Amino acid sequence: MAPQVEVMRRADVNRLYDEKVNNSRNRRNAPAQTQTRPRKRKLRQRWLERGMGLDLPFLLLVLVLVIIGMIMMFSASYPSAYYKLNDSYYYVRRQMFYAIIGVAAMLGISFFNYNKLHKFSFPMLMLSFATLVLVLFLPGNVHRWIEIGPINIQASEIMKFAIILFFAHWGSLYYDKMQYARYSVLPGILIFGVTAVLLILEPHYSGIVITAILTVIMLYIGGMRVKYLIIGALLLGVVIVIAWATGILTYAMQRMDGWGQALVYTTEDMWQTTWQTRNSLYSIGSGGLFGLGLGQSRQKYLYLPEPQNDFVFAIVCEELGFVGALIILLIFALLVWRGITLSLRAKDRFGKLLGIGLSSQIGVQVVLNILVITDWLPNTGISLPFFSFGGSSLIMLLAQMGLILSISRTANIEKQ
Amino acid sequence: MAKKSVKRTKRGVLQLLRMRTTILILLILVIGFGAISVRLAYLQLVSGPYLQEKAVEQQLVDTTVNSKRGTIYDAKGKVLAQSASVWKVVLAPAYLETNAQRKYVAKNLAKILDLDYKDVYNKTKQKIYYVVIKRKIESDEREKILKLCEKINKKFDGLSNVITLFDDYRRYYPYDDLASSVIGFTGSDDQGLEGVEYEYDKYLTGTPGRIITARNANQTDMPFQYEQNVDAKDGNNITLTIDETVQSIAEKYMKQGLVDNEVVNRGVCIIMDVNTGGILAMVTADGYSLNNPYDLSDADLASIRALPKKKRAEAESAALGAMWRNKAISDTYYPGSVFKMCTASMALNEGVVSDNSSFYCGGSVKVYDHTIHCHYTAGHGSQNLFQAITNSCNPAFIDIGARVGAERFYKYYQAFGFSEPTGIDLPGESDDLFFSEDGSMTVTDLAVASFGQNFSITPIQMVTACAAVANGGKLLQPYIVKSITDVDGNVVKKTETTVKRQVISESVSKKMCDYLERNTIQGGVNNGYISGYRVGGKTGTSEKIGQSQKGYEDYIASFCGFAPADNPQVACLVFFDTPRGASYYGSQVSAPVFVNIMSEVLPYLEVQAEYTDDEKQYVDTVAGSYIGLSVKKAQELAKSDGFTTTIKGDGKKVVAQIPYSASKIPVDGNIVLYTDKESKKQKIEVPDMVGYSVSTVNEIASSVGLNVSFSGVTSSSNAVSTSQSISAGETVNEGTVITVEFSGGTVVHD
Repeated sequence: MAPQVEVMRRADVNRLYDEKVNNSRNRRNAPAQTQTRPRKRKLRQRWLERGMGLDLPFLLLVLVLVIIGMIMMFSASYPSAYYKLNDSYYYVRRQMFYAIIGVAAMLGISFFNYNKLHKFSFPMLMLSFATLVLVLFLPGNVHRWIEIGPINIQASEIMKFAIILFFAHWGSLYYDKMQYARYSVLPGILIFGVTAVLLILEPHYSGIVITAILTVIMLYIGGMRVKYLIIGALLLGVVIVIAWATGILTYAMQRMDGWGQALVYTTEDMWQTTWQTRNSLYSIGSGGLFGLGLGQSRQKYLYLPEPQNDFVFAIVCEELGFVGALIILLIFALLVWRGITLSLRAKDRFGKLLGIGLSSQIGVQVVLNILVITDWLPNTGISLPFFSFGGSSLIMLLAQMGLILSISRTANIEKQ
Repeated sequence: MAKKSVKRTKRGVLQLLRMRTTILILLILVIGFGAISVRLAYLQLVSGPYLQEKAVEQQLVDTTVNSKRGTIYDAKGKVLAQSASVWKVVLAPAYLETNAQRKYVAKNLAKILDLDYKDVYNKTKQKIYYVVIKRKIESDEREKILKLCEKINKKFDGLSNVITLFDDYRRYYPYDDLASSVIGFTGSDDQGLEGVEYEYDKYLTGTPGRIITARNANQTDMPFQYEQNVDAKDGNNITLTIDETVQSIAEKYMKQGLVDNEVVNRGVCIIMDVNTGGILAMVTADGYSLNNPYDLSDADLASIRALPKKKRAEAESAALGAMWRNKAISDTYYPGSVFKMCTASMALNEGVVSDNSSFYCGGSVKVYDHTIHCHYTAGHGSQNLFQAITNSCNPAFIDIGARVGAERFYKYYQAFGFSEPTGIDLPGESDDLFFSEDGSMTVTDLAVASFGQNFSITPIQMVTACAAVANGGKLLQPYIVKSITDVDGNVVKKTETTVKRQVISESVSKKMCDYLERNTIQGGVNNGYISGYRVGGKTGTSEKIGQSQKGYEDYIASFCGFAPADNPQVACLVFFDTPRGASYYGSQVSAPVFVNIMSEVLPYLEVQAEYTDDEKQYVDTVAGSYIGLSVKKAQELAKSDGFTTTIKGDGKKVVAQIPYSASKIPVDGNIVLYTDKESKKQKIEVPDMVGYSVSTVNEIASSVGLNVSFSGVTSSSNAVSTSQSISAGETVNEGTVITVEFSGGTVVHD
């Protein structure tokens, strides 16, 4: 019985492969273009009628987050900007400038046909690897950033997008073969493996976590068998248990920027290393239920280093309290939920996967960022979307939101 | 078939995507966001208070502003202890950036403050914002530091607050060693360590103020944050019952007594107001310098240096402890014969003896299997109660004690306040040491207790009991602090006289006063007699059984008395521990000191002197000035002043006189007036005037032309001169006043 099924499947696979090639050819040929004309006409109607076909709730959520993020980043950063740069508005002025560019980029990209990204998926991946390798040769102790003129880009930011894009492309291309390990597990392990090695060298441990999660998410929604996921999870579990049992885990946690040791430091070095995380916990704890009030944080007075970056949410917690933090998390959740559901309505599988991937990335990053500031993950560069200071990442983030809006347009068009 | 299967697969894939997306949403939004929400809730709501406390701990800088410690005044408002402004120099070395800056600051600080350069330089290398360089600098040093700050500010940029001066206070004791064991001193943090400074620390201290400032992580003030000031509240002022004048008089004579009698173990003098319980003077001689309480005497230092190095520290702290010890309340001793005033009082109060009771002394008495000797081994024979007291007869008092009985004896022992601390408001008061916890005594115990041996009490207990004997029988609680007032002058606390109980009846008290007064007259200076004042008192000499140093038989010589006997105002105990001079008897060691102290204290306390007719002729007055007058006029003036005159020389005008004007002279004395300088060169030899009666001394003196100032007991018929101020054989001018000391004759060696 079993051998027969196996044979059947192989035949199936071959046939499916032929069809896939045909399909992809079809997509690139004329019929697709002829179809776009009437669509464009309808699009103009929508432009006037319903906000150009954009998903308005999603856009609104993005803008709300950009504004709240801007206010909170300003509140968190002005004392350190005042003390260190003698200019309270140093960060907010720049962030505002980037936000304007970013929102413009987002709206612009929403008109862009995301399907054109298919052909960039592989080059993008290669470019990302190249960047990850490149940063290793740049001066400094920690090799996470690449500077191009005034722009600072975190190499892993590009990597994240490249992974989502590549697997969206891959998953849409091999939608019918994803249940096979060599179409899902193999590329996954290959791409993530190389990324992980390069990120360890940087080092950027939380970057590994986030790229791992994104890879798994993309493979999962792409159609990979859950069996492999479970195997992977079990393997990870075994490794963690062994590491814990042999004491390597504690050692590793100490090595990883004093992960989980912020309040239980034993040496002066540890105290120094965990300074930021510990002060983050002090900030969060100081907030209580309703917070100290907007602008009233005390920890931002140089106690929490670089409050404008990854740890901005600690100041949010201090000033707005648990209630305020929860409301912001709710807005994030709404954004993620809206992003994923609207992507599901996309006309094509690539759009679906891309949209879901980009939306999940926001959610994952929010979760990881807060795990970092609460000392549950090593303190290594996971920024909070829309809140953390950083021109390039904000622009990139808004550009990705533009892609989701672009997907929402096609989704809405198809509906009509 | 194939197409259908593909289509189905496509649909299947889509369904799978939908399903998995739902799971993904659940994973991210429910599990992921749920986890972080729970984590935040835990940190903000559960650990919140702890984390906030930690945060506030690092954010707020709490600077203490010292409060000014209250002043201690004597009863007349003289300042005994006072705090004055000084400053604390604090460095914030973290501002120093270069070694040149560090060196400059360290060099100048070390120079101004007289510190070791290396120490200061090491402090400048620390990366902190608060290092105390020196405490309690005076204003001249402060001026120099302020100038240095200006210089640093000019020389280096951004170092304006590298040195800060904080207000502080230093304790000054204007009389230095006066009443040192009573007043006590303070430690480096202004906390009271001994005496009143310790006992009343919480009143004197006040409330330190606080400045709470929010600081950023660089320890500079937050520009937008708050500052909270709590003003320092100065300490309360304390007025003691101690009178500086009385205390000084007592200390002067106590110190003299220490030297004269070669006292090994210091002495105590307590002067107490018998009507209020207030302590007018409490002396532990020698005292120590309150301004430098850690300076040991040269003798102590020498003996410590003689020790091996290891034992020195221990010996030093022991020596300091002994020096600071308030002997008047912390040491116990056998009261000895002084206690007989209590034994007699209780016997009279119980009615077991009367004036006419007869006591026999054969020189010794056998109690159970012990033979107890009287100090007068020949025996006093038959005596009445007054004689028994005057003779200080031990067998008589053993008899009196036996009549009282052990049970009642202990009852009175308790009633006189010996069984409990007096409750005086000073630290370190000791308990008594009686024969047994419950007061039971054997026959022998009772016998020796009757004359004050073999049980230990503190000097303050003795003087309090003496006051009770004198004041009509009321046992008072002695106290040292009269009142406490706050900085605005409001009374915080005022000590009221506490009458603990009526120990003996008023009539018994009157009788005892009478007995004790006559006792002093009988014994003269050596029994406490003071010419012009009615004084009552009792001498005491107690053996230090088991406490004597090897090779010595050590004693405690004490005298406890009160004045005036007809209306007692003050009680006074004089007590020398281990005199090793010519005598160790209370009558010869302590009584003269008591007399000296009281003869100055009583006039100061405005107790009117009342001379008997006998005494009046021996009272001294002051010679007037007759120089420059004609002989005739001088004679007339001297006569009107009550003096007789002797003219020497042939001149017409008086050029010199003996005694000099304003110097002491007996009321009917003879003034020698010189009319030329030659005649003043004539001298006469001083005759021996010791061992004669008052009238004989008078005759001898007038026969050679000397004036005699009579001192001591002159009213008693059997008074005998015991000493003269200028020794026999020396040559003096005619008319010179020689003080001759008289004694009542019956000197008791108890």
